[in-house]
Amino acid sequence: MNPRLAHPWLTALILLGVVGSSLISANPALAQEKVAYRLKWLINASTAGDVFALDQGFFSRQGMEVVVKAGGPERDAIRELELGYAQFGVASADQVIRALAKGAAVVVLAQLFQVNPLQWIYRADDFSLTRIQDLAGRTVGITYGGNDETIMRALLATVGMDDNQVRLASVRYDYTPFFQNQVTIWPVYRNTQGIFLSDKLAAGGERVAFFDPSEHGVRFAANSVVTSTKMMDHHPQTVGRFTRALLAGWQAAMAPSNESAVIRAVAKYDRDTSEAVMRRQLTATRQMIQPDPGIPIGHIDTTAWQQTEQIMIRQGLIPGPVNVIGRLRPQQAP
Amino acid sequence: MLHRRIFQFFIVYLLGIGLLFGIKLVLNLSDYVIPGPTGVWLTGQAEFSRYVGDVLDTFAVAVIGQVLSILMALGVGVAGRRATWFGSFIKVAAYNVQAYPIVAIAPILFILLGDGFLTRLFIAAMICYFPLLLSVIGIMSEPVVDIEHFYRVTGRLRWQLEVKIRAFENLHKLTTVISGSATLAMAGTIVAEFIAANAGIGYSIRIALYQSDLSKILVALFIIGITLSLYQGILELLGAGLKKAWAAG
Repeated sequence: MNPRLAHPWLTALILLGVVGSSLISANPALAQEKVAYRLKWLINASTAGDVFALDQGFFSRQGMEVVVKAGGPERDAIRELELGYAQFGVASADQVIRALAKGAAVVVLAQLFQVNPLQWIYRADDFSLTRIQDLAGRTVGITYGGNDETIMRALLATVGMDDNQVRLASVRYDYTPFFQNQVTIWPVYRNTQGIFLSDKLAAGGERVAFFDPSEHGVRFAANSVVTSTKMMDHHPQTVGRFTRALLAGWQAAMAPSNESAVIRAVAKYDRDTSEAVMRRQLTATRQMIQPDPGIPIGHIDTTAWQQTEQIMIRQGLIPGPVNVIGRLRPQQAP
Repeated sequence: MLHRRIFQFFIVYLLGIGLLFGIKLVLNLSDYVIPGPTGVWLTGQAEFSRYVGDVLDTFAVAVIGQVLSILMALGVGVAGRRATWFGSFIKVAAYNVQAYPIVAIAPILFILLGDGFLTRLFIAAMICYFPLLLSVIGIMSEPVVDIEHFYRVTGRLRWQLEVKIRAFENLHKLTTVISGSATLAMAGTIVAEFIAANAGIGYSIRIALYQSDLSKILVALFIIGITLSLYQGILELLGAGLKKAWAAG
């Protein structure tokens, strides 16, 4: 091409680009505000609402371009908020309280799980756990340093039991000690691992049951949506739009009529879980996200947060009160 | 040699921790992201003796693992030094075993050996042995022509003598590699404890990570560093002594 002819075309293209980009930034309906959202764990049925909100355009309808980042054991959403790698995240209640105790400026926007999915699985044919005292003499799995340790110790403390009356065994992601019956009561996320383990044991002709701490008076607040105080103070509208879109996504994801679409959205990331298992995981998740239709999705259970803080103080996990209630900032429901 | 190593470690550790504190100060980060000097100091006071015990536990496994890996590397290196079919087979087998990521093998080890001493030992040896093997094969495959030629033409060069000559002529290299492999043995044991054990400093680090407590990790790193510096210094001293004794004998 003749370079003398190409020049005016190039100038016109650049001008078009400049005008176009300024138009986009001037029009909030077209400009997509970019934010990153760090999940607590890998994408599975527990994050159905998060991925469904993205997949079905709930964020983009609020003028937001959201990058949903999978979590994992080495990820910490609260750290990422402070470092600016993410603007929103999911954290467990104990994580939030620990962070507050160390001066992190973080606020809670919504509580995703009304029932904590962290429960203990056991073989129903071997024994039954109807009271906390039934744990006496049994081998109970806990992740030392994890919130299951905190919950189990809180449970034991409520009936005056201590470490000497149960055998606490350290566990990790490998279920072998449970399969081999060396550890008979094993911590699981009821709505995901719980389904998978039930299936495995059912294949061997064994029935399982779950020990739910909330049924025994220990209500440890579960995964919640968090952001930084700075974000809350400087961009309250962004926070509001994000939370509305997210909770609307969760609401849609929990509707049984959307089940197939939700499974398709989750399966894009979670390729190892079969559709049948995912369907049952979703059913279990639904019961934990909205156990009572009268309570809206995302409702922050202040009593559970208060109890969680009290438990952590009693166990010496934080040096003193952090007034977590003052950090709960429920957003307007969609 | 020992005090120099410790001094060097202090410089490295203080530079590292100073950088962290600098980032904390510049970015105005909370103690949750990066703990302050007071927090690290208080954690050090509270956890020091427990962590020393944990590090010594890890160290004991690491030393045994390193000895095992030295023996394995020497065995495989000596067997695989010749350009024969068997030598090549040994090398290929050794390289292939090393190609499997340890995090994938750990659950199998856990099933076979449980989460105790043997798993830690095996993983430590696995991680430590490959660099050793490469060096040993490199040294053992390289003829010391000037010396070996004499024994070869007189028909007295047996394989034991060949190995001795090559080891002696490369003793400095071997000592350096063995001393360096101590770091790998320790790192291997810590990885093993992190993923498949209920004891040692790797296990304690895992708990600290669950609790998002970077202060504990910094204290653990300090004790690990000091222990390793001491051990490497001792290994170097031993190597120098061995060379002297061998030369005199």
